[in-house]
Amino acid sequence: MTLDETDLRRLVAPDVPWVTIVWDDPVNLMSYVSFVFRTYFGLERSEAERLMMQVHTKGKAVVATGAREQMELHVEALHGYGLWATVSRADT
Amino acid sequence: MILPFQHKRDGVHLSLAEHERALLGDLAGQLVTLLEGRDEADPAVSRLFPPGYSGDDEADAEFRRLTADDLTASKIDNAKVLIASLDTDRRTPLAPEVAQAWLRSLTDLRLTLASRLGVTDEGIPQPAEQAGIVLRDVYEWLGYVQESLVRALDR
Repeated sequence: MTLDETDLRRLVAPDVPWVTIVWDDPVNLMSYVSFVFRTYFGLERSEAERLMMQVHTKGKAVVATGAREQMELHVEALHGYGLWATVSRADT
Repeated sequence: MILPFQHKRDGVHLSLAEHERALLGDLAGQLVTLLEGRDEADPAVSRLFPPGYSGDDEADAEFRRLTADDLTASKIDNAKVLIASLDTDRRTPLAPEVAQAWLRSLTDLRLTLASRLGVTDEGIPQPAEQAGIVLRDVYEWLGYVQESLVRALDR
C-alpha cells in the first residue's frame, strides 16, 4: 500500500480543517457576489457584504470552513455561479 | 425607461425589448456551442471552469474529473432555460428556477465576453476594431441586465 502526498498530509495533521476561498475577479458585480453569498450560504446581509468587500479589497476571502468533501461541494456550486473559488487546507 | 427586469408581487418579470431578447438568444446559443465543445485551450473555457485547487495540480485534476461534466451540463441547461424563456411576455412572472438559470447564464456570458475583450482589474482595453467596440457595448449592457435581475430578485 502506498500513500499519496494528500493522504500523508492528512495523517500528519488530521484535525486541520479545509476552507473555501473566493477570489476577486474583474467581471462579477459586487451586488451579484453578495447576493450569491446570501442565497447560497444563507448569510445575513451584513455578513455577505463584509465578505464581498473583503474579496473586493483584499483579493480573496475565506467563505466556509469544514471537511474537505463539503468544501469541494461549495466550490463546485460557486463555479456554477461563475465565481472563482478554490479549496485549500486551513493552514496554507 | 423600462428596466430589463421588474419585481412585482407575483415574481420577477422580463421586460426586455424584442431585439434585446433576440440578441440574448443569439449569445446564449453561442454559449451552448462553446460549452458543448469545451475546448480546454480556450481562455473563456478556462474561466468558466476555474481550478478547484490553486497550487495543487493533482488535487485539481481529480476535482475536475469529478465535477467538470456535471458543471458543463448545468451551464448548458441554464443557457437553454434562458433561451426557452425568452418569449415570456411582460405580464407573466418567470418561475424562480428560471430566474436562477438566467442569473447564472448571464454570468457565464459576461465571463466569456470579458475573456474575449481581455478585461482586467484595470478595466476593459480599448478595442481596436468596430467588432470589438460592439462586443464591449454588449458586455456592458449584459452587466446592466444582470444588475437589474439581482435587484429584482433581491426585493
